[in-house]
Amino acid sequence: MDSISTAPAILQPLLDMLRLPLEEIKIEKVVDLVSYDGAIAAQCLRLANSPLYGRREIETVRSAVMVLGLDRVRTLLLGLCMNRVIPADKWVIEPNAFWRHSLGCALVTQRMARKIEYHEPEKAYLAGLLHDIGLLVNSVLYTEGFRECLRIAAEQQAPLHVIEEQVLGFTHCDSGRMLAEHWRLSKELVDVTYCHYDLSLLAAPGPLACLVHLSDLLCRARYLGYGYDEIMSVDLGGDAAWQILVASYPALGNMDLVRFTLDIDGAMDQIVATVDSVFGSKNVAVSAAT
Amino acid sequence: MPIEIAKPKPAPALEQNSSDPAFLKIRDLVYRISGIYHAEEKLYLLTSRCARRMVALELTSPAEYLEHLTVRGNRDAELRLLLNEITIGETYMFRHPAQLDALRKVILPEILQAKGVHGLKRLRFWCAGCSTGEEPHTLAMFLLEEKEKLLAGWTFDILATDLNDNSLEAARAGIYGEYALRSTNDRLRAKYFKDAGDKKLQANDLLKSQIRFDRINLRDDNKMLFQKGMDVIFCCNVLIYFDLASKRRVIQHFYSNLMPGGYLFLGHAESLFQVDDTFRLVHFTGTTAYWKAPATLPAGGKK
Ligand SMILES: C[S@@+](CC[C@H](N)C(=O)[O-])C[C@H]1O[C@@H](n2cnc3c(N)ncnc32)[C@H](O)[C@@H]1O
Ligand SMILES: [Fe+2]
Ligand SMILES: [Fe+2]
Repeated sequence: MDSISTAPAILQPLLDMLRLPLEEIKIEKVVDLVSYDGAIAAQCLRLANSPLYGRREIETVRSAVMVLGLDRVRTLLLGLCMNRVIPADKWVIEPNAFWRHSLGCALVTQRMARKIEYHEPEKAYLAGLLHDIGLLVNSVLYTEGFRECLRIAAEQQAPLHVIEEQVLGFTHCDSGRMLAEHWRLSKELVDVTYCHYDLSLLAAPGPLACLVHLSDLLCRARYLGYGYDEIMSVDLGGDAAWQILVASYPALGNMDLVRFTLDIDGAMDQIVATVDSVFGSKNVAVSAAT
Repeated sequence: MPIEIAKPKPAPALEQNSSDPAFLKIRDLVYRISGIYHAEEKLYLLTSRCARRMVALELTSPAEYLEHLTVRGNRDAELRLLLNEITIGETYMFRHPAQLDALRKVILPEILQAKGVHGLKRLRFWCAGCSTGEEPHTLAMFLLEEKEKLLAGWTFDILATDLNDNSLEAARAGIYGEYALRSTNDRLRAKYFKDAGDKKLQANDLLKSQIRFDRINLRDDNKMLFQKGMDVIFCCNVLIYFDLASKRRVIQHFYSNLMPGGYLFLGHAESLFQVDDTFRLVHFTGTTAYWKAPATLPAGGKK
């Protein structure tokens, strides 16, 4: 765990910032963080100037942050930080695949949170973004065993956590919880990293864990998984998380899941562009959803 | 693109005024018979289709044409000809590859396992609204390719139906150009087609013999009642122009025609949200389908 915490100087202030609700974040603070590291600042500028954001000749970090929005800047910062923390040869899971999945889950969780009128959609975004940090722990600390997991999972087109359990005896949920606690993330976020597959681990699963559970499934079913084709057959409406949520958020029942799924496909370009801006474009094994 | 003109046709000789009350009556008639509803902004489509028929019959007024559709002795035949003009469908082979992946990876193994128990090693597929046959031919190729693997020891049949006589005739002939075949690889072309000249390929006898074509109007309750025992139904890009009531009716028929545990595939962007809540929506990689859960399934879902 410590090798992960010997992080770049901005990781701690970044984590502090990630804990805050969006409206309490001071834009100056973010600009400072971004400017602190030349490479990070340059990447922000590059993304803000890309055609996706309208190509408006952005020259200062401040306007780049404004154009990208706090959500995206936070994602970028986190991605770049992790990029430093994890040596290139320790990335077992393809970094582009990992961030596409994480960012995909962040967006889907946030959108779903808005649809059901969950009171903290930003927190939902963050929960989606961080739910799989355990995969990074496994990459760094259990590199060879985890490589084996990924190979077998891809070969059998099976869920990764199931294979982790078989091969390692624990999953990225266990290691994710440890890192989340180490980073002193909120209890809710710790629960999300720990329980996003198996909600029954919690006595009373909260809405965040349920939301992330569902959006993780949705993303994996829409070519935003872990970089390999997975055999999926998901009855979301029959899922325990869905039923828990519907009980407290009846608006969920008014959601057209087919439409929502197409919305995810629509967000794909943005997700890919943002991730590619952090890690350079790479051809991840992702079939185009048409 | 759903139902639209696939090939350019000569422009109608007459510009028709779509607000003519006769057209509104024709719209209602078409709706009653086929379930296809031309809303205000789609009315021009209907009038241009009618105009073609009017040119053929040398008629000048919509009222006259309405008479041909309603009171003349050959009104049924004329209605059919009009429907042939209206329902020209855009389609091509391997239009929904993710559906085939879901079949291979999840649906067929699931159904084979459930059915194998009873010793009935036979599968039934139905392409409802098959247009010129690209969809059932694709399915037939897919199933033939699995014959020695997944489907070893099993037989299957494919029923392919449409309302449009012209489309059905083309489907039976099985002659396709590059447009229809653009997603079909060389290996499959060589294995299941023969040269038909004029840069076209024709389905060979092996492929053709897998499919039974029939004319079924999805709004024809009598016929719909007798298509029982289906394992998987495809009804892609057909119900989009149906109004809610007709859609519901058709979906209910599909539900009762499916075996418990069977699946219904719709087109890429089609949803049964607020149309039906007897089917269960299931997500597969890259696609969704509707599932008829077996009655014995405990509440709380699949798996
Ligand atoms: C766009 S095509 C779909 C072709 C194919 N299923 C696909 O997805 O590629 C729509 C077809 O639905 C048929 N159709 C429309 N209304 C129908 C009805 N009431 N009964 C039967 N077929 C109908 C049309 O004739 C047309 O061939
Ligand atoms: Fe996970
Ligand atoms: Fe995940």
